[in-house]
Amino acid sequence: MSLTAKPALELDGISKAYNGIPAIQSVSFTLKKNQVLGLVGENGAGKSTILGVINGVVSPDSGHLRIHGAEAAFGHPDEAARHGVATVFQEQGLIPQLLVYENMFLGREAKYSVGGILRRQSMIAEAQAVLDDLNIDNVDPRAVTGDLSFGQRQLVEIAKAFALARVYPVEPIILLDEPTSALSEKEAAKLFDGIQHWRSKASIIIVSHSMADIFRCCDEIVALKDGNVVAQLAAGETSPDGLHELIVGRKREEEYYKEFRQRDPGDRVILSARGLRKEGAVAEISFDLREGEILGFAGVLGAGKSVVASMVAGLTPRDGGEVQVGGRAIASGSSYQAISEGIGYVPAERNLAGIIGAHSLEWNLTLPGLSRVMDRSGLSISSRKSAELANFWLKRLRVRAPGRGALARSLSGGNQQKVVFAKWLARGVRVLVLDEPGRGLDVGAKEEIYDLIRDIAAEGTAVLLISDNLPELIGLSNRILVMRKGQVTAEFKADVGAKPEESAIVKHMI
Amino acid sequence: MSSTTTNARSGPRAETGPHPLRAYYGIIAQLLAVIALIAFFAIQNPLFFTLMNFQNIGMQSSVLLLVALAGTLVIMIGSIDLSVGATVVLATLVTAIAVDAYGSLGGIGLAVATGAAVGLVNGGLMVYLKVPSFLATLGMMSVLAGIAGHLSGGIAIIYQNWAYTDLVNGSVILGLPNVATVALVTAAVLAFVSLRTKFGRYLYAIGGGEVVASNSGVPINRFKIWAFVVCGALCGLAGAMLAGQVGAGTPAAGSSILLNSIAAIVMGGTALSGGVGGPHRTILGVLLIAILSNGMDVTGVGGFTQDIVKGLVIIFAVALTTDRKKYQFIK
Repeated sequence: MSLTAKPALELDGISKAYNGIPAIQSVSFTLKKNQVLGLVGENGAGKSTILGVINGVVSPDSGHLRIHGAEAAFGHPDEAARHGVATVFQEQGLIPQLLVYENMFLGREAKYSVGGILRRQSMIAEAQAVLDDLNIDNVDPRAVTGDLSFGQRQLVEIAKAFALARVYPVEPIILLDEPTSALSEKEAAKLFDGIQHWRSKASIIIVSHSMADIFRCCDEIVALKDGNVVAQLAAGETSPDGLHELIVGRKREEEYYKEFRQRDPGDRVILSARGLRKEGAVAEISFDLREGEILGFAGVLGAGKSVVASMVAGLTPRDGGEVQVGGRAIASGSSYQAISEGIGYVPAERNLAGIIGAHSLEWNLTLPGLSRVMDRSGLSISSRKSAELANFWLKRLRVRAPGRGALARSLSGGNQQKVVFAKWLARGVRVLVLDEPGRGLDVGAKEEIYDLIRDIAAEGTAVLLISDNLPELIGLSNRILVMRKGQVTAEFKADVGAKPEESAIVKHMI
Repeated sequence: MSSTTTNARSGPRAETGPHPLRAYYGIIAQLLAVIALIAFFAIQNPLFFTLMNFQNIGMQSSVLLLVALAGTLVIMIGSIDLSVGATVVLATLVTAIAVDAYGSLGGIGLAVATGAAVGLVNGGLMVYLKVPSFLATLGMMSVLAGIAGHLSGGIAIIYQNWAYTDLVNGSVILGLPNVATVALVTAAVLAFVSLRTKFGRYLYAIGGGEVVASNSGVPINRFKIWAFVVCGALCGLAGAMLAGQVGAGTPAAGSSILLNSIAAIVMGGTALSGGVGGPHRTILGVLLIAILSNGMDVTGVGGFTQDIVKGLVIIFAVALTTDRKKYQFIK
C-alpha cells in the first residue's frame, strides 16, 4: 500500500441542488488508494447524491472530481466505469435472467469475442479466476443470477467491479451502498472478511446507516450533515456515539417541532394492535394508540417500522395478529376496510403513492372521500360540494397553488404533501399513519407540516409516526417505540420538557 | 387553525398556472385537424361536402363510436382490450340468430350479455390469473374468432326479422337513424359517468396511479373487472347495431374494427398508459377517423393504402400522447 500514490478519488467543492434546494454543498474529501472509507449521515444528508456524482449518474452544478488523479467529466456513467468506478447498490444492478458470468462482463463482451461471437468458455474461466482471486467460493459463474441469495448476488456485483479491472487496467474504486442492510449476520461477516482481503487491490467507499459496520471495516470516516461534510477523521479518532453526535449534531429546536403545542393524549384507545407479525420483517408487536396521541416508531432502515405502518393501514397483509379501530377488527391487507374505519395513510413516496400528478388538486383531494361530495341523488359528484370541500381544505392548510384546478404535479413538495394530508382530513379520519412526513421537504415546508400534525392531534386524531429523522420523531411524539430487526427493543415517554436523548434511542436501534 | 404565521421560507412557490388554454390544446388541435380534413377532402371531391355524405359518415361511425367508447374505459385504466373486434363479430352472429328466435329486444339483450360475459372473462384473467390484459385479450380474440367460425361456418348469417333492421335504421328522434341515437346517447352517458361519478373517478385513478388509488381505498380489482365488463357489454351492443345495419351476422370485419377503434381512442387523447383522456375525448377521435375513412373512400383511395394511412395515424398519435416522464423503458 503506497501512501505517496495518487489518491483514488478527490472530490473538490462539489455542489448540487434539486429544484433550488441544495442536496450537497461544496463537498470535498479524498479517498486514498487502497483505503476503506465510510460515508455516514442521516437520510437526506446527501450520501446518495455524492455516490451519484462519483459514478457519473448525477451531474453536479459545480466542483471538480479527480479519479486516479485525472479530471473526470461529470454525468457519464460509462466513463466512470472505464476509470474503474463500480457501484454496488441497495437495489441490485444485476439482470436476474442472465448467468453470473454474463452479468460480470455485461457491456464488456467485446474483449471476449471473436468476430462478434462470444467465447463462452474463456468468459467462464475468466469469471472463475476473478471469483477465486477474491476468495469467493460460494458462487458458480454458470449459475442463473436470479437463483442466488441476496448476499451471493452482492458478491457477484463486487466481483463484477474486479472483472472490470481486468478489462480496463485500472484499480477498481468500489462504492458499497448500504451493503449489509439485507444480509444475514453470517453473510455480513463474510463480506467484511472479503473487504479486508480485497482492499489491497481496490479502494472502497462504504455508505451505511450501521455504525457497527462502519467501525468494523473503515480506516477513515466522512461525516455528512445537511449536504455538508462536517468531518473527515480516522476511525480511531472517534466512537459511534461521537460520530452520531456529528451527523445529527443539530440541536433539537423545541420551537421547530411545536413542542409547546404538545398535549397529553386522552384516555380512550382509538387503535389497538396485538401481535402484529410479518414473516421476515416484524415479529409479534403490540401497541395501543390513544386519542390525540402521536406515537413514534424509531429504527434503522429495515428494522420493520414501515412494515408496521403499512400493516396498520391495511396495505400489507399481515401473517398474524390483529388491528382494531374503535373496537372493530380490520381484516388483514384490506386498505378499503381500514379506510372505511377511518385510518388514513400518508406514504413516504409522495409522487408514487400519494398524489396523481396529472390530475387537479380538487380531484386528488376528494378521491378517498368521494361519498362526501355526491349530490342528493347519490349518483353523481356534485361539482359545488367538491369545489367547496377542496377550497375549504386548500385554504385551511394554506396550500400555495393557483387554485383547486391546478395540476398536483405543478406544486412544490411541501404543498403536495399538504394535499396528501388534505385528502384524509377532508374525508375524516380517526387514525392517521404518517410514513416519513417530512421527507424531501425543505426546512420551512417541514415546519408547516409539523404544525399541521399538531393540529390534527389536537383534534383528537391518533397519529402513528414513522421517521428516520430522530429529532423530528422525538420532537413530535408523545411516546416512542424503538424497533430493531422486527422487534420492539425499547419504549420511551416523550413528554414536553422530558424528551429522551437521541443517543439513548440510538442505543436500542443498533 | 394554526398558531404560527405562514413561513416565508416555504420553498419555491408553486408555478403560476399554465396558459389558461393549455388544457384545451389537444382538443383545439383535433378540431383544427377535423376542419383541415374536411377542407382537404371537399377540395378533392365536391361530393364529400354534402348533407348526404355527412349522414353517411354518421351511419358509418355509429358502430365505431360504440366500440371506441368501450375500449376507452379499458384504456383509461391502463389496460387494453384487443378482443373488441372479435367480440363485436361474435355479437353480430348472436344477434342474427337471436332476433329470429327471440325477437328484436331478445337479440339485443343476448348480444349485450354475450359481450359482458367476454368482458368478465377478460377482466378475471387479468385480475385473478395476473395475465397481462394485452395477452389475455389477444388470446381471447383468437378464441372468439374460432367460436364465431363455428357458429357461422365462415359465412354471413342472414336473418329474416326485418322489423329489426327497421328498428336499427329507422328514426325516432330528429331524423337521426336510431343507431346513431344509441351511439350518441351512450357517449353522453359515458362522458357523464367518467367525469361525474365515482366509477369514472376510480377508473381515472387506477390508470393514473394504481398505488395512489389503492392507498386511497379504491377497490382496484373490482373496478378493473367492471371496466372490462362494461367494455364487453358495449361491444355486444355495437355488434347488435352492426347486425341491424347489415341485415346479417358477419364473421369478418373484426380486425378493421379493432384498428379503427384504437386509432380513434388514441387520436382522441386517451393515452395508452391510462389515467387521462376519457369517453368525451374519444367522440372527437371517432369523428376524425370517420372523416378520414370516408374521405379516402370518396376520393377513391384504395383499401390497402387506407390501412397504411390508419396504421401511421395510430403510431404518430401514440408518439404524440405518450407521457415520456412516466416511462423509463418501453418494452
